[in-house]
Amino acid sequence: MPSPDSIPGSPPCILEDMPPPPADLPLIVDFDKVAKTYDHGTPKAFTSIRDVSFQVEDRPDIGEFVGILGPSGCGKSTVLRLIAGLAPQFPHTTGSVRINGQPVTGPGPDRGFVFQDYSNFPHRTVIDNVAFGLECAHVAEKERRTKAMEWIQKVGLDPLKDGLKYPHQLSGGMNQRVAIARTLIMEPKIILMDEPFGALDPTTRQSMQDLLVKLWRELEATVFFVTHDIAEAVYLGDRVYIFSPSPGTIRHQLRVSPPDRPARQMQAERGFQDSVQGVRAILEKLELEKTAAPTT
Amino acid sequence: MAGWQQWLARVRTIRDLPSQLESRLFGAASIALGFLAWHWLTMPWGDGNRILSATLLPSLPDTLASFRSLWFDRALTLSVLASLGRVLGGFLLTAAIGIPLGLIAGSYLRVNAFLKPLSIFGRNVPLAALIPLTLIWFGLGELQKVMFIFLATVGFVLFDTTNAVQAVPDRFLDTAYTLGAHRTPGKGIRRAALFGLVYALIFSFGLFLLQNHNEDSASLIQEMTQSPFWWHAAIGFLLGSALWFPIQSHQLLRKVLLPLALPDIINNLRLIFGVAFGYIMLAEVIDAKRGLGFIITQSQRVGPREHIYLCLIIISLLAYGIDQSIRSLQRKFFPYLKNAES
Repeated sequence: MPSPDSIPGSPPCILEDMPPPPADLPLIVDFDKVAKTYDHGTPKAFTSIRDVSFQVEDRPDIGEFVGILGPSGCGKSTVLRLIAGLAPQFPHTTGSVRINGQPVTGPGPDRGFVFQDYSNFPHRTVIDNVAFGLECAHVAEKERRTKAMEWIQKVGLDPLKDGLKYPHQLSGGMNQRVAIARTLIMEPKIILMDEPFGALDPTTRQSMQDLLVKLWRELEATVFFVTHDIAEAVYLGDRVYIFSPSPGTIRHQLRVSPPDRPARQMQAERGFQDSVQGVRAILEKLELEKTAAPTT
Repeated sequence: MAGWQQWLARVRTIRDLPSQLESRLFGAASIALGFLAWHWLTMPWGDGNRILSATLLPSLPDTLASFRSLWFDRALTLSVLASLGRVLGGFLLTAAIGIPLGLIAGSYLRVNAFLKPLSIFGRNVPLAALIPLTLIWFGLGELQKVMFIFLATVGFVLFDTTNAVQAVPDRFLDTAYTLGAHRTPGKGIRRAALFGLVYALIFSFGLFLLQNHNEDSASLIQEMTQSPFWWHAAIGFLLGSALWFPIQSHQLLRKVLLPLALPDIINNLRLIFGVAFGYIMLAEVIDAKRGLGFIITQSQRVGPREHIYLCLIIISLLAYGIDQSIRSLQRKFFPYLKNAES
């Protein structure tokens, strides 16, 4: 892998097929030929994903960032919800899903989830929203308050000024910061994000991307990030999975350059934009497939 | 002229929002028009003839003048308190049973399927038929009136509460689950026991108060030590803890579904309370010694008829006042609600 500074001017970005995982590392997420069919065996039967296989290995002291792209309705969210153990996508129909070598039995705080619509609890202040998970884990009031304040600070909000506000008093970007703090305070080893910045304007989006990169480095968690924004996936991801149209399956697993520079800077670089173009070409070909051959 | 025309254009605009002052003025105009029409229909015209005779509609001055006798001779305040007490008593019982049951039904959909026939029956049973039935079951006393309100409203509260819980978006459940919300049976038992104690108090003392007793205080205490009192307490305890255990033993119900559905639940209670306040008149027509319904029947039988009209006005003012105070409580306790802000 050439170092980014080896070529002066525009640093290159990698865009290559994923090499197979090294056999000696344990797998943190292991999907093997996973399919999900609703109303199996009835005329209403609908297959959301089929034959989805991928492995993310557990590297010491580093978490992988996986961007997931694909045409709308291809089952990207289904994969996330299968990892989280959320119904009705969970449980899957065939194949096997293993997290740290164990099958998923249901949702838990070890797999954090950030949703597009923030879903902060409207009846709780920012502090109480951020501390919700600790409250569920029976952490003492004083400790969870201190920790919540700490995390509110970390996501770039003012613990004293914003801490006592209710979600309806915050902007979309601030609400998503609260949702991120609420998820990360549990220090999950896997973080699932379903178009978390989809409702934000481009500027807010880039600063959220930088924030996310900073916090993710600190937590060393494995992140799965579903998005419609190709640049976002290429920027944030160590790897990018590209799904086929419904019923979705992973068509390409690509390795891309990690986000080692601020979003605004890196996304303006020539090499980065070439990578984005490469991914866009693949996606456009898939979209054509969708219109040419309707699903059977 | 231009301002006047502009205003007219706004009046003609669909969904044009009037100012607060304008809304109040229009409301006041409606009331004034009502009284004006009343006055015209009952005032003596040129030759002393009225459009409507005094037996059909008493005149406005006569009616207002009869307020004195309503207040002093008929003990209006006591009757208002009696009516309110009956509605509140029945309503307390309705809330104590309908709300937890609705929370459980809204969360566990098989329970909902099980309770649905009951709530359909409860909402469609003819109210007038409940009066003779409650008379047969509970006799002529206060208990009958309270139970009538309970039976008339519990189906609605159960149904509305179930809907309010089901209306909580799934994403809040997903969020809570991924943050580790789980069952806490130990905590559930302790909290349910507390609820059981409150229910025991309500059932034992409530039923005790509703029964007729001697005024003698020594025999009151004696009665309290007798077995029915303790039976009621035991039933109340069991019912209270059984109803609240499922709610208190799961963090998802306690921390998410209950608080998120609560504003809706309270709002529905407020609406049904207004209806229940109307129902109580039905029950007070039969064998009551006090109450607004009693005053109305008395006034119809022995006069003065003016009191009937006064009572109608007082009832609507009272209902409006209660409604407004519950609203202001809602604003205070649910500051995050958009519709509570306006």
